[in-house]
Parts: sequence; C-alpha cells; structure tokens
Amino acid sequence: MAKVTFTLNGESITVDEPLNMRFLDILRMKLGLTGSKEGCGEGECGACAVLIDGQLVNSCLLPLGSVEGRNVMTIEGYRKTKRYKILEDAFIEEGAVQCGICTPGMVMASESLLNQNPKPSEKEIRIALAGNLCRCTGYEMIFKAVKRAAKEGEGLW
Amino acid sequence: MKTKKDISESIRKVDSEEKISGRAPYTSDISVEGMLYAKTVRSPIARGVIKNVKLPDMPEGYYTVDASDIPSRNVVSMIYEDWPVFAEKEVNFIGEPIMLIVGPDKETVMNLADNVEIDYEEKNPVFDFSNSGVRLHFDKGDVVNAFERAAKTIEYEYETGYQEQAYIEPQGFVGYIEDGGYTLVGSIQCPYYVKNAVMDTMGEDEDKVRVIQAPVGGAFGGKEEFPSVTACQLAVALKKIQKPIKFIYEREEDMETTTKRHPSKTKMEAALDEHNNIIGMRSRIGLDGGAYIGLSGVVLSRGMLAVTNAYTIDNLDVHGDVFLTNTVPNGAFRGFGAPQMIFAIEMFIHHIAKDIGEDPYVFRKRHMVKQGDKTSTSGTFRDPIILDDMIQKAVEISNYHDKAKAYEDRDTYKGIGMSWFLHGCGFTGSGESDIIKANVKLRKDDEDNVHILVAAVDMGQGPKTTFRKLVADILDVPIEQVTFNYPDTRYVPDSGPTVASRTMMVVGGLLARAAKTLKEDWKEGEEQTVVKQYEQPDYVEWDQDTMRGDAYPAYSWGVNVVEVEVSKVTYEVTVTNAWSIYDLGKAIDERIVMGQADGGQAQGIAYGYLEVMNHENGKLKQKNMTDYIIPTSVDVPKMENHIMDNPYPLGPYGAKGVGELTLVGGAPAVALAIEQAIGRKVRKIPATPESIMELIDNG
Amino acid sequence: MKHVIPKTYKEALEHLSEGTYKVLAGGTDLMVKNRSWSETPARFKQDMLYIHNLDELRYVEDKGDHLTIGALTDYETLLRHEAVPKVLKDCLIEIAGPAIRKVGTLAGNIGNASPAADGVLLLYLLDAQLVIERKGARREALIDDVITGPGKTTLSNEEMIKEIRLPKSTFTKTQFLKVGGRKADAISKVAFAGAVRIEDGIVKDLRMAIGAVNVTVVRLREVEKLHTGETISAVQDSIVSIKNAYVPHIKPIDDQRSNRVYRKRVAFNMIEDFIMNMHIQD
Repeated sequence: MAKVTFTLNGESITVDEPLNMRFLDILRMKLGLTGSKEGCGEGECGACAVLIDGQLVNSCLLPLGSVEGRNVMTIEGYRKTKRYKILEDAFIEEGAVQCGICTPGMVMASESLLNQNPKPSEKEIRIALAGNLCRCTGYEMIFKAVKRAAKEGEGLW
Repeated sequence: MKTKKDISESIRKVDSEEKISGRAPYTSDISVEGMLYAKTVRSPIARGVIKNVKLPDMPEGYYTVDASDIPSRNVVSMIYEDWPVFAEKEVNFIGEPIMLIVGPDKETVMNLADNVEIDYEEKNPVFDFSNSGVRLHFDKGDVVNAFERAAKTIEYEYETGYQEQAYIEPQGFVGYIEDGGYTLVGSIQCPYYVKNAVMDTMGEDEDKVRVIQAPVGGAFGGKEEFPSVTACQLAVALKKIQKPIKFIYEREEDMETTTKRHPSKTKMEAALDEHNNIIGMRSRIGLDGGAYIGLSGVVLSRGMLAVTNAYTIDNLDVHGDVFLTNTVPNGAFRGFGAPQMIFAIEMFIHHIAKDIGEDPYVFRKRHMVKQGDKTSTSGTFRDPIILDDMIQKAVEISNYHDKAKAYEDRDTYKGIGMSWFLHGCGFTGSGESDIIKANVKLRKDDEDNVHILVAAVDMGQGPKTTFRKLVADILDVPIEQVTFNYPDTRYVPDSGPTVASRTMMVVGGLLARAAKTLKEDWKEGEEQTVVKQYEQPDYVEWDQDTMRGDAYPAYSWGVNVVEVEVSKVTYEVTVTNAWSIYDLGKAIDERIVMGQADGGQAQGIAYGYLEVMNHENGKLKQKNMTDYIIPTSVDVPKMENHIMDNPYPLGPYGAKGVGELTLVGGAPAVALAIEQAIGRKVRKIPATPESIMELIDNG
Repeated sequence: MKHVIPKTYKEALEHLSEGTYKVLAGGTDLMVKNRSWSETPARFKQDMLYIHNLDELRYVEDKGDHLTIGALTDYETLLRHEAVPKVLKDCLIEIAGPAIRKVGTLAGNIGNASPAADGVLLLYLLDAQLVIERKGARREALIDDVITGPGKTTLSNEEMIKEIRLPKSTFTKTQFLKVGGRKADAISKVAFAGAVRIEDGIVKDLRMAIGAVNVTVVRLREVEKLHTGETISAVQDSIVSIKNAYVPHIKPIDDQRSNRVYRKRVAFNMIEDFIMNMHIQD
C-alpha cells in the first residue's frame, strides 16, 4: 500500500492502495467510477481507456504506481464538458451506439484525436480508433460520428 | 393535418445517452452490499473421471459449491439436456466447471481456487468426427433418379472454422436472495431460458426465480443458451450461502470455455443434366458439437435447411450430424448453422460453373429461386422475391462485371466476389407455436402511459427504440408516452428468446396487434391491459420428423459484394470495399437496420478471412483478444449498404427478420474475391495468408 | 515485496543498486505478463520500481550526427518529432493502438526482449547504441550486443537503460513491412525493415533486419558489407546468394499466430522484394 496523489477529473485526490493495482480497478472498485469498462484486461479492446494529460491510455495496463502526479480524466469528468456534448450528439445522430460497451472508450479516443488534430481525415480517424474494438457497428457509423463532431465542434478543439 | 412519417425514417435511439456517458449499468458495474465473489475451478484435461478432490483449508466465510449442492437436477435445461451444471464424475472438455469457490476477498478466493487439488483418471479424448450425437435427414423429390440420369456429377468438400462471438463485455451475473427466492441480474439474451433452467435445476416454482436483464455489451448468440449454465451454478451457490454473489467471467475464461460457432465439414455432390442444369444434389454436413449437444441439433437443422440457399434444385438428399468431441461445447452464433452451409453452397455453385466452363454469374442466375418455387424442404416461397432487382443494384453500385473481368488478370492480385443468400425468419417450423408460444402485454396506466411488457432483450440491435417507435406510431402518441424497460421476469410475460431473427417480426408483430387492439378500445385515463399470443399463420405446414413443409413463415434476402487485394509478398488480404443490398421487408428504423448491416457484414467477412481459432488436443490456442483476431477500425473496408422494401403482410409494417441476415453472406463473398485474386479454389475458411500461400503453392 | 515510485532518476539508480528491483516503464508488457484476477493486484514476483513519472528521461535531442532519445520517451511523442527518422515512424505507427503507444517506450521494448518486438527491429536497422547506467557507472553497447534471447538481455539487476542513440543516416529508400494478424493491434508474425542509400547507381549503404524469425532480430552485417559498393544490378543479380546467406538464420516457429513455413517464405519474399525494388522510389 502506498499513498498516490493525482488529479482526477479536475480535483486532486489521494488514494492509499497497492501500487500494483490496475488503475482500472482503482477507478471502478475504489472510486465507484464504472464508466471505464473491462473488455479484455490486456490493452486490446480500449474499453478501459482514460485520458492522461489529454492523451489516451488503457487503464487496465496502468499500475497505480504510474499515476502519481498525473492529470487523469475519465468519462465521468469528460461528460461535463462542451466537447462531450458535441461528440454525444454526433454519436447519437449517426447511430454509432449499439450495445454501448465500447462507446465511452470510443469517446475518449475521439477526444484524444480531436485534441491533437481538430480536422482529421478518415484515415487519421481510423488510425486513432484502431485501439478501440467494436463488435457491433463495423465502425462505419463511428467514423461518421467523429467527422460530424469535428465539423459541428468547430472552434472547440 | 400532420403528414404521418414513414416508419423507416430514423429517430434518435432512446438508450444512447446512458451508454455514451458511461452511466448504463452493465452487470459488472453493479455492486450489492455484502456481495461475495465466485471463481470457477475447471478441468485441465479434455476427458477423464474425477478420482479425488482435495480442498485447501477453507477459512470462515469461504465456500465451495459443487454438484453435491444441487437440490434438483444436475442438468442445465436447454433444447437437449446433456449439459451438467457442474461436472460430477466425468469431465469432457478442458475448462469444464467442477466447482465454484465463493468468498468476500477476491485474492483469497483466487488462491483457494488455485489450490484445489483434483486427481483424474484420464481417458482418450475424441476430436474427430466419429461420435455422432444428433443425426438428421431430409429429402426432396427423387435424388437417386437424378443421379442416375445425370450427364455429369461434380463433388467438393468444404470446411469452416470456429468463430468466437467476442462480445466486448464478458459474461456474468449478479445474484441475490430476495423474498425467499433467487434474483439474477445478468448479461443475457433470453430471460426466460435462464429462469426456466434455474427453476428446473433448483426444483423451484416460478415465483421463486426472478431474472432481470442488465444492459448487454454485445451477445451475437453467445449469451443465448450459455448463461443458463452460469445462472444455474450461481443459483446453487445462492441457496447454499444465502448472500449476494457477483459472478463475472474474465476474458480468457470466457473465450476458452463458452460456446462458439460450430466448425463444419460439408460434402456436396451435384448431378447435372446434358444442358448443364443441376437436377439433383446430395449434401452431408458435419458439425463439431463439442462435449455437449445443448442446442446443436437446432443449429444443424437450420444449417441443413439452408442447403439450396437462393437456388431451386428439385431433387435433394441432405444428411447432417452433430459430432461430439472433447472440446468446449459449441452453440448459438448469429446465423446459427446457416453461415457454414451458405459458404459451402455459394462456393460449390461457383466451382461447378468453373468446372463446366460457364460464367458463374449466368449459371447461378439460371438456378435462382423464384416466387412460387419449392423450398429445400418442399415448402413454398409464397412471397414476392426481389433478388433479381437486388443483384442488379449490387452489380451497378459495385461495378461488379467490369471488375470481375479486369481481375481475371492474375497479375492484378485483385478479386471481386458476390454472394446471394436468404435467411429464414423466426424459429424453424413449428417452434413458435409448439415450443415458444410467445405472449406480449401492453399495459396502459391511468396517466395514459403505455408500458411494453415483453422479454425481448436489447443487446444493441435496438428494440428499446424500435418497439417504442412501433407502438407509439400505431397508437398515434408521442414516443415519450411509451416505455420499454429492460425485461424483468417478474413483470413481463414470456415473449420468447431474443434469437432467430424473430424479435421484430414475431414479437414486434404481436405488439403491433396489441397496439391496434388498444387503440380501438382506448379509454382515456383508465388502466388497461392487452395481451396477445402467437398464432401460427395457417399456411405454414411443417412436419418435424420428415423435415418437410414450410420451415419458416418468411425469408429475408441479401446480396454481398466484396473486393479484395492480396499481397504478392505476404499473402495478406486487404478488403478494400464491400457493398450490400438487403430485403428485410420493411425497416422499422433505417439507421438501426444499416447499423446491423455494417456490423453483421464486418463479422461475416471476418469469418471468411480473418478470425482464426483452433485447438490442439482440446486446448484452444487463441484465448484472448490479442490472439483471437477480430477486425479493428483499420481493417474494415469502406461499406455501402442499401435496403430494398418488400413488405411481408404478416410482419409489423411489413418487417421480416434482419439480425442474422447481414452476417451469413460475408464469408463466401470474400472467399470468392480471394479465389479470383489468387486463381485458386477456396474450400476452407478462414482464408488466412497461411492458407492462401498453401493454395498458391499446391491448389 | 517492495513497491517504490522514485522521485528522481538518481533515486531510481539508488534503489536499483540493491539488486532486487524490476523496472516498470510503461507497463504494457509487465502488466499483461503478471496479470491477476480483476480487482486483485498484479502478481509481480519481485520488488518493483515504477519509473513512469520520471519526466527527466523523456527527451529527444538532435546532436548533429546522432539523435538521443530518453528511455521513457513514448512512441506517440516519437511519432510527432520531426527529427525521428521516417522508417522508425513507419514502424511505430503500426504498433498496437494510440493508447499503448502513449505509454510504450523503446527502452521497455528492449527490456521485454520479445523476438517479435517491432521497435527493437528498427533499433537493429539503425545501429542503435544504448546508454546503460547503474549507480556510479555507465556503459554503452550496440543493440545487437544487449539482447541475447527471448526475454534475455545483458542488463544486470542494478542497471537500466538511460538513453538510446541513433546515428543519423541518409537513405534513398526505406521500407518497413509488418505482417500481423490484422492491420493494427497485432503482434508480428514476421517483420522486415530495410534501408538503402544509392548514389550514382552504386549501393553505398544496404541494411536489412528481419524480426520474429529467430530468437533475436536477424541482421547480417557481413552480407550487407559484401554488397556495399556494388552496382544496383550487381546486387540484384546476386539475389539468390543473398537469400541463401539468410537461410541458416531464418528459423521461425509454429505458434498460435502462424506457422514456420509461412513465416519463412514471407521473410524471404520480403528480402527479395526489397532488393529487387530498392532502386524504385515509392
């Protein structure tokens, strides 16, 4: 056990847990933040993805020991932002949500992309989402949603 | 006057917000005060007898749960009852559950589970197609005569591999004791399958078992019958321990020990007359059922029925077997036997054409089914078939003929393939009327809100939205006035399982009838309830024993075109484009149907070239998302899909089934494209780069 | 078991000098290798040093004739840095997905020493020198001399990689070909990296590295030297003997991803494809 301090969704937080706990488990079990999902536990599916310093990271592979001093945002924090609203609307309008288990991770991946590249091409979108597996949609409507969000959210990213 | 919208016009799905925001409570998100955790202890061997079990010292508050704790029957009630809840003496596959360890601290539970010592007397496992557990047969016309007078006969064998559903949310339940009964909340497709299985295993009455569907993170058939196994195990644990229990599978154990698509071997023989028409066909299909039959007999049945696909062949003889092997039991997966057979027949009809020197397109067209023709089981294709128009459209949008010609040049290493297919909607034959007997209920409260009460599960395919849309449209009220919550067997009647592409056509159809009745009798401000039960359309006649008659009340149709490029250097396949046309009667929501088209096709195409699973002596070699390859965003081709309306009179607004249709044609389409690109016949899927290299060398 | 987050690199070396610690950089390999049941801690079998937050090890510096890359520089950062050679970027973009690339490091890839490592393949191609430090001492070594087999390196328990040095080279053509089960998120079945500099029709610098076909990356510098200084057609006419030279070294295995026959054939296809097209600009 050790005390680890980091910023979570804008607020400073200290947890006292083993450093070799997965950050995903800290979020879900210790902090009750179940928006990040476990699909595979080995960094393949991206359902657990969070933003660290604005960039996408798989929380199932992140030990608590690597989070010290970092700036973390989960879907619970992100859904309060204006950018989220644009993405949410785009995902709904384009029909990009079926079973929904991959969706929070997809949203975080989209934010990570648009944060670095506000006007991505389709190829860039595909590459940016390559670490988020979806079994329901065939990805097509998700691509459309990200394109739409980039357009509708002009100026926000 | 407000013009009424066409029902197909898309609306925003009602459950998207809760899912996008991360708020939707999937099973593993649920916490119950004081809950314990369960871990499964499994057989490491493929076949044997349990000789001795030595348990570690169990601390206070930690339990083992096994077959000796089962109150009623050590059987998971399914179509065929050979699947035990816990292995008792015999183990029949690697990973077979023997007991649960349950307790409050996961690390302790895990260590206890690791320290259970079991001695086995190993037996020789069976992996080949030698032990038939189910044997079916049907025929049509006089196939002996057809082969006798044939001018030519052609014969080929086809093979398909495993396919793993790979839903992103692993299986699981949270269970607890409530009002002296068992309540199970889980990621499931069929609340009543689970309820009935638990009632049976526990010897309990229906008021003692409550099953609630949590949001489901993907299912595709993998959560059709399998959850009944874990549910029964959990119920036994609940009875023993009387505390809430969370029972969630890890990805590797899910992949290694839950049901998959049956691998198949199909032998096809065709008899041709002197004009090169197929006058007769013999087919023999073998499915690898794994260790237990479960519902494999029904998978076999549907597969066999698809033998002539979208073609009319007058004389048939079809045999099928489910072979028992000491591997993980196989089960439902979108398509349910049809993808295996449709791969075989689509490739076969192409291979026949190639062997006799005819243009496959022309050859297939000549044999194409028409309205009024007899089905494979001597039923009738009663409804209009617009396949010709669909093919024409597919050819147009894909530029099929030009490409097919251009890619005959081997040096392009490119290919284009087209598959045509049907999918029978609903349960086979008399299943709906004899076994399911679906009931739906609409309850209007005194504020005139209408509650849809059915057991249909939304696993992403949209009934939470489309059922509300349907009912609201018929009642001519805003959709906000209609509710449809996740099914809870305490409140909803058994409208049947969410399978077999029946949800909109059958359950939706019943809801439409109920809504019409409610509209006619509507009494403002008063509580009203309308119940409807399924009635078999009287034109459907089916003899289960001879497998003769109308296997399905209706058929949906599809055309898939897939274009590929194969690398000369690495033999890897790039799927560059995919086009499809679907006739599912009428879309209750176009965008939702298109979503099914995108997703089903991605799965179907991947089944044909990408997804590899094999076992070595009963041990699966691919057991996680790293090794079992499903397509990523960089793998999927550009897709263009179209729907063509062809309303079915007995479906709500003309709707037929769509859930499985969109998967069944992908594999032959991509296989045919690869075949063209490499100039070799593809008879086995997945057509991996390794197998492509082999075909180029030896094929 | 001790679990420590050192506050500085110096502190990290101090802990390492005790000889019992394993270094965790990004964690993407170690957290999978040591995974446990969900909601239970990773099953590490020794003391762990969590160095992910040592930002002082994150840098990319252009030193004129070489590039220095700090051990914890992640792949995403390398992908965006203008001084990083194109062929390395071609490789990194195909590794896993963005989330893994955000924490993945070359140092971690080296430490893990998988025969299928892609980053390592490029380090072999680019003649990477590693700066390895322990408390009070430093050494430099060519990448070829550091990785000795699957999961094995010459790093002692007290050492860690501080920095990677890439000598700068100009190439007229480079190629990276990864064969995975799919086009992203895949472990290589076999991989190829090639680089050549052709001036006035003469091959001045020829390099090829093949991954996942032996216990370590296959790079045959003697074969490359043999053909350096030859004309393009002379090299291409020798394709058979060039391929033959690789035969004893290309010895792949069967596993859940692929088989030896395929891997071997594709490795040779890639060598041939590179040599025969080395003079053709993309």
